[in-house]
Amino acid sequence: MALAHLDALYRTALRLTRNRTEAEDIVQEACLRAFRGFHRFDPGTNARAWLFTILRNVFLNRLRREGREVFQGDAMLEEAGDSATLEAASASPEEEFLQTVVHGDVDRALNALPLAFREVVVLADLEGLSYREIAEVVGCPLGTVMSRLSRGRRLLRTSLAGFAREHGYLRGPA
Amino acid sequence: MTCGEFHARLDAYVDGELPVAETAAADAHGADCPRCAALARRERELRRLLRHQPRETAPPELRARVVRDLRRAALRARVRPWLVAPALTAAAAALVGVLLLPTLRRPATLVGDFVDKHIAYAQLERPAELVSDDRAEIEAWFRERARLRVAVPDYSSAGIRLVGARLAEAHERQAAYLLYEKGRTLLSVFMVPVAATDMVGAGTRVSYRGHEYLTREVKGYRVVSWSDGRAVFGLVSMLDYDALLECADAARASQVVSQ
Repeated sequence: MALAHLDALYRTALRLTRNRTEAEDIVQEACLRAFRGFHRFDPGTNARAWLFTILRNVFLNRLRREGREVFQGDAMLEEAGDSATLEAASASPEEEFLQTVVHGDVDRALNALPLAFREVVVLADLEGLSYREIAEVVGCPLGTVMSRLSRGRRLLRTSLAGFAREHGYLRGPA
Repeated sequence: MTCGEFHARLDAYVDGELPVAETAAADAHGADCPRCAALARRERELRRLLRHQPRETAPPELRARVVRDLRRAALRARVRPWLVAPALTAAAAALVGVLLLPTLRRPATLVGDFVDKHIAYAQLERPAELVSDDRAEIEAWFRERARLRVAVPDYSSAGIRLVGARLAEAHERQAAYLLYEKGRTLLSVFMVPVAATDMVGAGTRVSYRGHEYLTREVKGYRVVSWSDGRAVFGLVSMLDYDALLECADAARASQVVSQ
């Protein structure tokens, strides 16, 4: 089961850690924990969400153990999302700029997202988890997931627009 | 639906997470409002961009490390069973069944093997290698893939739907595995081309419509098994014994498995 999901676990670990060695370490630890905790897994429930939950817990524990900041405060998250709200509220010529985005831009924009937004965007848009699955993985109510996802995407769009300006594909204020 | 209502539901709409009625209302609004339709297009464009990012795969060394770790952990669980509760031992065995099916020692009996595989395959995103409800297609697939001659039973009259098939391995033989479902309850049908009946294991002998079957409950699943001298058959499910015996009888009526 974990092997069937290994690629997805690895990709997600890479997005969370932004570091290959660290990503490999947390996937390895998560698989072992999944094995040890398999008796707690209810076969009627979602194996993929269960494995992602373990992966995330391993990652967060590691951050805490190393004294690294896990999440920014809620107020900062609100602010971060809201600053991008205005720009996203209206359909604009930016509709076309996404065609000009190169892969490196998406990596840069994703890496720049605060963790609370990055994890939900990665789970939803890169790994295709449903809102309910994401809520299970991150341990938040559905509404929080939706709000973080929406704000995360807005921030991402704002970053991508900034890169498009850098590349000269988009004019206007940065 | 108003523009405000559409904006409030935009993400869920584009993500396909709205209830059917609201999706229909949003579709209708988009058809009438070019501005909202443009917003939805823009959102879809972003998701498409993210979805089409290069998808990395786990490095082979990581895969090898994970397999090695799990194999060691599984062996430890087998060697020192007193360290873990019986339920955990069973669960660990089930996970090993999923993770390391081809590499670990096989269970002592075919019935135990059937149940482990039933649990293991149920965990897979695609339990059936060949997803099809066409019996002839599945029969041809087994013939071509493994030279297995299998007659796929039809249980549709009992409300049991054929989902697909996979090649399984049982006692170092290629075996046919058929997956059915009744509602949300899975039914696995295993057909192993081995003559020996002693591998079926213990169970309660039951006679049904003139034929002998072994019934046994393993890890909460009911198993009905029998041998026709050329192959061993096993049905595993949460369905009750009456339903399973009926399925066994139907399978037996036309079954030929050989390799």
